[in-house]
Order: sequence, then structure tokens, then C-alpha cells
Amino acid sequence: MSFLAPFAALFALALPVVVVFYLLKRKRVVKLVPSTLLWQKFLADTQASAPFQKLRHNWLLILQLLLLALVVFALMRPYLTGTARETNLRVVILDGSASMQSTDEKPSRFEKARAEALKWVDGLRDGEQMMVLLAGATTEVKQSPTTDKAALRRALQSCAPSDAPTRLADALKTAGAFTFEKRGEETVTSGEIHLFSDGAAPDLEELSNKNLPLVYHRVGTDRDNAGIVRLDARANPENAAQRAIFASIANFSTNAAKLDVDLLFDGQMVETRPVDVGGTNTELVIFTAPQERDGVFTVRLHTVDTLAADNQASIVSFMPQPVKVLLVSKGNRFLEKALRGAANVQLSTAPQLTDGAEAFDLVVLDDVIPVTLPRANTLAIHTVSTNWFAGWDTAKSPPIVDWKSAHPLLRFVNFDNVQVAESLAVKPPPWGVTLVESPQTPLIVAGELNRQRIVWIGFDPLQSTWPLRISFPIFMANAVDWLNPSSANNGQYLVQAGNAFRLPLAPGLTAAQLTTPDGKSRSLPIEPDARELVIGDTLQQGVYRVKAGTNEVTFCVNLLDSNESNITPREELPIGKYAKVTATTMKRANMELWRWIAAVGLLVLLFEWWWYHKRTA
Amino acid sequence: MSAILTPELLRRLEQFQLLAARRAKSSARGERRSKARGQSVEFADHRNYTHGDDFRYLDWNLYGRLDRLFVKLYEEERELPVRIFLDASESMTFGQPPKFDFARQIAAAIGYVALCGFDRVSMIPFPDVPADAGRGLEQASRGALRSVRGKKSSMQFFRNINALTASGAADFNQALRRGALEAKQSGVAVVLSDFLDPAGYETGLTALIGRGFQVNAVQILAPEELNPTTYGDLRLVDSETGSLQEVTFGKYRLKAYQQTVQNYIQRLREFCQPRGISFFSVGSDASLEQLLLKQLREQEVWG
Repeated sequence: MSFLAPFAALFALALPVVVVFYLLKRKRVVKLVPSTLLWQKFLADTQASAPFQKLRHNWLLILQLLLLALVVFALMRPYLTGTARETNLRVVILDGSASMQSTDEKPSRFEKARAEALKWVDGLRDGEQMMVLLAGATTEVKQSPTTDKAALRRALQSCAPSDAPTRLADALKTAGAFTFEKRGEETVTSGEIHLFSDGAAPDLEELSNKNLPLVYHRVGTDRDNAGIVRLDARANPENAAQRAIFASIANFSTNAAKLDVDLLFDGQMVETRPVDVGGTNTELVIFTAPQERDGVFTVRLHTVDTLAADNQASIVSFMPQPVKVLLVSKGNRFLEKALRGAANVQLSTAPQLTDGAEAFDLVVLDDVIPVTLPRANTLAIHTVSTNWFAGWDTAKSPPIVDWKSAHPLLRFVNFDNVQVAESLAVKPPPWGVTLVESPQTPLIVAGELNRQRIVWIGFDPLQSTWPLRISFPIFMANAVDWLNPSSANNGQYLVQAGNAFRLPLAPGLTAAQLTTPDGKSRSLPIEPDARELVIGDTLQQGVYRVKAGTNEVTFCVNLLDSNESNITPREELPIGKYAKVTATTMKRANMELWRWIAAVGLLVLLFEWWWYHKRTA
Repeated sequence: MSAILTPELLRRLEQFQLLAARRAKSSARGERRSKARGQSVEFADHRNYTHGDDFRYLDWNLYGRLDRLFVKLYEEERELPVRIFLDASESMTFGQPPKFDFARQIAAAIGYVALCGFDRVSMIPFPDVPADAGRGLEQASRGALRSVRGKKSSMQFFRNINALTASGAADFNQALRRGALEAKQSGVAVVLSDFLDPAGYETGLTALIGRGFQVNAVQILAPEELNPTTYGDLRLVDSETGSLQEVTFGKYRLKAYQQTVQNYIQRLREFCQPRGISFFSVGSDASLEQLLLKQLREQEVWG
């Protein structure tokens, strides 16, 4: 047995009050009087001798009538009709992303949204169903469609916000699946989606033509937030012994902010720097710090703003190791010079590659067909392999039409004035992205194939004007950096909240120990033949430690999402280019009033008792 | 002097005389004019001289003018019997001051006025004291009160009144009817009671009227009866009959109760008026002087 309104049991507290009133009622006091004659006459006068008497003005009577009217009114279970449409199913989506932890609503946006959603549960009409989704990094169905208000309340109470960015599109797609219903040929909308969110979400392009029956309940009032939106740790280009920590600090408020930014290494304060960030501006802060061991750099903002989750970010930094590069070439002075120019490189050269070259961090194949393909990360120049491409051809003077300057490999690299005489022509492979392309063929492809990073250049630089350009050594330095396994690791150990962390495993392990940022430790079971450990429970930002056998790994979970840090409540939720949903001011469907009426009735009853005793006492 | 009435009040009461609308019918001589002819200074009539009449009453002047003998007749002055019916039932003991005390004071005052006027006073407290009640002294007092005459007896009269107590259940009608029958001559009757008898008061008063009494009725009610101060859920016990009455009473019903009491008094007054009964209703806390010196005089009970 369950109760729809278990708190109504609190009304039982009124029972002793009534009992006390009954105790106050005095027993009939025996009194000796000279004669009861006058009293008999008095009673005969006042008591009804006929079945009906003239109604006299009597407050007790009025109070009792009022009480009865209230009870009847309550039994009729009246409710306030809202503007909400009548519908079979209401899908409640509770935004559980990091921005919902903002404290501009008291106690937080999430609590406000939850309270609002609970009111909708209260207002659920008989026969109406409701379901509850929690939208965070993943969409969680907290309660499947039901009319059970207690279950819905429980489901809402069990929701909690995370430090992860929102993926509203997923949640809306899930909700959408419940709100359409096929009736013969046509699809009918049979439900209504209630989204409780601040609207801080990436655009919902893919939902643009779905015409979702979406009601957007906006929470949040304030936009006063500053946060770390990007963080990187690299070798200091000027001093290889030091590390440079890049932090982008964004101020989403319209007012300029003065902040103190702390840099900590493994919890030890390294430096504090005051930073002025203009309104709605982003400021890049670069710290340089010596590093003597592997550790975690943490950047912390000293500010009081409405969202705390983005005021701190951590990154794992490993000691810089010399990069061992094997250049397999028939001789290429430009290439050799460019590789030597890259920071921290130990270059070896060989005319031909006969083994897997496991001792090297990366292998450069320059116009050489190797006997065996290297296992290490590879920069392949004018070389093809059937492992990489299904087939190839040659293209004469392919013009360079486009290049992806946003890719880390092409940072500060420009292909203006680069002409290529001849190139291998291949189809874009599924494992990589085309960085530089001509109409006939991709010219540079970068990607990862079987945990091996590969950069493929289709043409011989000596057959082009590229080595004469400044972009050539820069590209080589970028390539060494990108193909260096330890730098790849650096990125691997920085996880956005809600994303999974993957750890390659040595065979034979049965369990791993995970320590979360709040200091709690728990054991993770490992399948007997698992090759990697996937940790998906990264909803909390901070530093996580995994111990698998003798291998101890630290990884950092951060928000680092400018969409999420921008907590400005959106008045409109754009869905694609043309559609948008405006925040609703809709009141909940119907508010049952009988509790209030019953409460008033109780007050009237108590007053009536008091009144009765006041007159007779 | 007596504790019942103050000397000052007694001095003022001496000026009064009970007024009787009818001539006294008593056989005993007194100071009241009566229809009987006898010896006094008041000339009443002449009659023809018959053989054996006393010569001293012959009217010689008339004999001189008419040459016939007439005897002068004078009015005989007789006493006026005053009967005081005093309700001495249990219900009279209530009130602050008790109704019975107030009634005794009125009885003493009326009795004193009558004694001063050489009238015979009979005080009849009712109910009778049961023979086995061990109240012999009171019984003697009651006996002495049956017939008192003369101002010199007034001290004894007061002492006897003081010795009376109130107890038991009274039958108002029967007491008055018996009093009317016992009386040899009619006269003035004063009834002092609360008139709260379940059997009513009509037959008793009618019996007195029928016997030719000039009746004065004084109703004495306790303040508690006029303005009850006990509220709540009550179980009332009748002091005389012992009957129970459950009443829920509050301030809000006080007016209705007072109206009931007034209605009762009014009905009693309306019964008395056409029968020539002088009726008074007083609370036991009322001023005795006010009643005796003003109200009774205005109603011509005495003057």
C-alpha cells in the first residue's frame, strides 16, 4: 500500500488538539437551586417545541455551516485549471548538466527545476501519464510512463546534477520517441515534452524538422560566471626543462572581472597571478613552471560566481622525454634538417626498415617501401600500403584547394604558394581525416589505425615547392609533437566530464581500484579477456586515480566547455536554423485545492470549538 | 431592640397604620371602625327609644324639637385581624442575603405596624414543623405567633420571628386554603413567598379572596434567580422536590432567561390585579426601607 500524499499524515497531529478540546469540555456541574421551576419554563421557552423554529442569529450555526460547506467543497476536489493542453503523456526532461548547478536560483537552478517539475507531478490529472528523463552527458530514463505520482516524485528526488555538459539532443530524441504514435498512416502527437533547463546546450540542429511538442521551462536569472574553458600543458618552447600551462579563462558576465588565478602542482601552490577579463571576453593565461616529476597541474580561479564547477581544472603532465625518431630515407636533407630542428628529438637514420622498429617513438618513411610496416606511430611520405589504402594512382600537378588549419598538425602551417608536381592519388580512408586536399586526391591524411597514429603525405616534398616554405619545418615539428606517444598520452589523460576514460590493460588482471575526487575508493571488476578498462563514471570533475595491477594511472576530469560555462539563461531554445522554442510561462496543468480547503476547514472547526467554549464557560 | 429591624426603621413604622378597604368584622373590640354599633365617640345613627334602653343615650335635643324619644347610636370600634403567611420552605433559604431573612423582616415590619394599630396579628409560617423534628422551641414560637396583640407584645413578637427557620417542602395552595378556613374573621392577609411552587399559586390566593381577605402578595426572589452567574453544562437539583434539570447555560442565553423570569412575574401580577391583590416583587438584595416606606405606602397597604 502506498500513499499519494504521505505528508497528509501530518494532519494526524491535529487529533490530540481535538482531544484536548474534549478534555476541556466540563462535566455537568451539579448545582442546588431553590427551584427548577423557572429553568423548566426557560427551557420550554427556548427549546423547540415545534419541529421547526425561526432561525435565530447564531454564530455557531454559521460556523458549522461554513465547516460543512468547506468539507463538501474539498470532497469535490476542485482544481485550478492551467493553460496546459490536455495530453496523455507528459515527458519531463530535467537538465542535469553542470550549468544547472549555478546558484543564482536558491538553492540552485537544478533544485528550482526539480521543484517546478514536482509541481507538475502534483498537477497531474487522473489518467495522465508522466515520465522522467535526466539529461546529462547521457540521457537516463528515471521513470517510465506511469500515473503513479509517488513513483514520479521518487524518480525526481533521485535525480542529481553532474559536472558534465548537456547533450540535450539525445534527451529530446528519446522523449520524442514517446510523444509520437502511429495511427494508421499518419503519425499523431500524443504527448508533451516539458524541458526544465537553462538552455545552455549546443544547438539542436538534427531535431529541426521533427516538430517536437516541446514546452521549455526556463530556470536561471543571472549570467555572472567566469570559468576555465581550455587547458593545455606543453613543453616550454623557450626552455625545454620547463612546462608551459595554457589556460583560457572566459568571462561570460557583461561586467569586467578581476580574478586571481592559482597554479598548483600536485596540490602545491606554484604561482598566483591577477587577471583582468573584460565583459564577455576570453583571456589566455600562460604559466611556465619547472617540472621534475610526473604530476597534475591544477588551475584555480579565485572568484565568487554562480557556477563553481568550471572554476578549477586539472591536467596530467609527464616529464618531457626525448623523442626517438627513425628516419628511413634514401637521403633527404630538407627533411632531416626539419626533423632535427624539432624540439627534443633524437634522430636516427636508416636506408631501409626491416623490423617493426619497436625501440622508436616514431618512424618517418620517406619515399621508401618498407619490408615490414613499423608498429610505432608513422609519418609516411610518398609511400603507400595496402593496410592503409585499398588502391592508388598518380595525379599530375594536383592543385591545393583546401586545408584544415584548425587541426593541431596544421597549427601555423600555410599552404599558400605551395605547388606539387606529382602525387599519389587515393580515396579518403575511413580511419583518418584529410588535412590538405586537391580535387583529385587527398594530399595529407592524419588518423589513427589500430592504436597507431599515422600521418600520410601523398607527394614527395622534393617534387614540390613546400620545403622552401617556412611552413615545412613547422609542419614537421607539429607532426613530431602529434605523433609522439607521450604527448598523445597527455591528451588521453584529460577527459571531459561525462566522457569515458579508456585504459589499455596488461593481460591477466581481474580488478582495478578507482579513487574518485571526493576520496572514495572502489573496486572495478575486469572481464578476463578485456584489452582495455573503460571508466564511464566521470560525472564529477577532479582528479581520478586508477590502480590496475602495478600500473597506477592518474587522469583528470574537467568541464572545459564554453557552452556550459556560459550560464546565461536562454530565453529561446533554437532548434536548427529556423525553429525555436520560447520559454513558457505556462502554469502547471491543474492544482488540486482540496488540501488547502481541508486545512481551512480544520481551522474553522477549531475556531468553532473555541467559540462554543467561550460562550458557555 | 430587635436584630430584625433597626430602631430607626421601627420609629418610622410607628407612624403607619394598615389600611383596610372594608370595615372590620372582628368581634373583639379594637381601634378599627366597624359596622357594629357600640360605644365610641363616633356618632352613627338614631333609633327609636324602646323600653329598657339606657337613658344616658337619649337625644334630649331631638326630644325637645320633636317631642319623641330617640336613642343615639355610636360606631363600635373593632380590631382588624392581620394574617401573615410566611413561606418557610427550603427554597427560601437561598440567595444572598437569604430570601427568608428578607421575608422575615417584611413580616416583622407589617406585624409591628399592625400591633401599633391595636390589631391582632397572626403569623402562619408554612410548612408546619414536623412533630418529631426536635425543634420544640421553634414550635413554641410558632404557637406564640398564632395570635399577637398590642404594642407591648412586639418585642416578644420579634423574638419569636427570629426563632423561625425555613426547611422542608411547602404546599403553597394548601397552606393558604387552610389559613383561610381557620380564620374566624376575614381581614388583611399578607403572603410572603417566592411563588415558585410547581403546583401553582392560583387556588391558594383565590381561597383567601373568597374568604373575604384583603390580600397583599410580596414575591421575594434571590438575586441568583434573577441573574444567574453559574454558566456551563449544569445539572440542577430542586431543593424541595429533588427533581433534576439539565441545562446548558451561557452568557448568550442570559437575556432569554431574564425574559422568562419577567414573564413569570408578569403572569403573577396579571393574576393578582383583577382580584384586587396588591402585588410586589422584590429581590432579596433590595432595599428594605425602599419597599416598606415607599412602595407599600404608594400601593396603600398602609398609610
